[in-house]
Amino acid sequence: MAIANESHQEEKNMHEHHGAGRYWLIWGVLLVLTVVTVVTGRMHLPSFGLLLALVIATVKGTLVALYFMHLSEHRGANRIVFGVSIVFVVLMLVIPLADFGTRFRGANPPGSQYSDLQPPDIGTGAQRGRFGGGLRPNQTKDTPETPEPGHH
Amino acid sequence: MQSSAHTADGTANVPRLAAHFASLEVQNHAARLGMWLFLATEILLFAGLFVCYGCYRFLFPEAWAAGSRSLDLFWGTVNTIVLITSSLTAALAVHYAKEGKNKEVGVMFALTLVMAMGFLVIKYFEYHHKFDIGTLPGRYYFYEGMQMPGITLYFTVYFCSTALHALHVVIGMTVLAVAMVRAFTKKDFGPNNYTMVELGSMYWHLVDLVWIFLFPMLYLV
Repeated sequence: MAIANESHQEEKNMHEHHGAGRYWLIWGVLLVLTVVTVVTGRMHLPSFGLLLALVIATVKGTLVALYFMHLSEHRGANRIVFGVSIVFVVLMLVIPLADFGTRFRGANPPGSQYSDLQPPDIGTGAQRGRFGGGLRPNQTKDTPETPEPGHH
Repeated sequence: MQSSAHTADGTANVPRLAAHFASLEVQNHAARLGMWLFLATEILLFAGLFVCYGCYRFLFPEAWAAGSRSLDLFWGTVNTIVLITSSLTAALAVHYAKEGKNKEVGVMFALTLVMAMGFLVIKYFEYHHKFDIGTLPGRYYFYEGMQMPGITLYFTVYFCSTALHALHVVIGMTVLAVAMVRAFTKKDFGPNNYTMVELGSMYWHLVDLVWIFLFPMLYLV
């Protein structure tokens, strides 16, 4: 029976006695990574600061789950449950962010960066539409923020 | 009884095997599966707050930068180290429970509880400072030094996520305190009976895991 085999394997893994040294080692690595994330965080790296911090946090979280929580010794369903919940977290983050990133800007809350980036000549853009797009290209104002007529 | 056949090893420290499990191994496996399922719901509970964080940060990056710089990075780092170390002692408690060293289990959980108290005390002083200067959520915000769109949302997310985390610290402390008392009084943890220590410790590691993500998100970037 698969379940019984899994349980047996898990029991064997959990019983296999390794010294307490492994926990101290993981603890040391976690402290070093904490220092690294604080030092790099204080540099206020412009573009990849958030990414770097999240990568470090993910590495730390993986170490905690695998060794402190013994996920590396657990089998079967226990691993699937944890993995699937992480996938759901990522989906829950990505879908709303994709929504915010692709919205019509006016639909974003006033004062937020995306509604403030609206081209100041939004009225001109409306004018353009009146001529069916591209009929009078010479009359369009030279504003790179405003998309060309007919260009979505 | 079937249970005696599977657990007879001459000691009284064996947990009762429920009749619907084939063996103690399967019973332990099921206990861990139940705990992982519960922890998965906990992860998704915090994920809701992470989504709020992500969306509002996307809309108000400047407020987020200003808000995170207004927090006390020193005490935030100290709290991270305290919580990681408390996770180490919780892991060591499981290690000793497997060896049947009940006194060490109790001592390790006691150390974990002391560090958890330390975490909450530091958190109290951080909250106190924010109530003083007025960096509070929503319409309760009255700090003059930082005025920009979205700044109150930063502190809404800050207070909601750290308060929910602190609640988990308190619950985890209760669970570990029960296990600690049992290790000191009944002294019945051993190679065949450490599920309570293991699952309690797993809960504590989850509390640590959440903070590992909250700390850089709120204090650093």
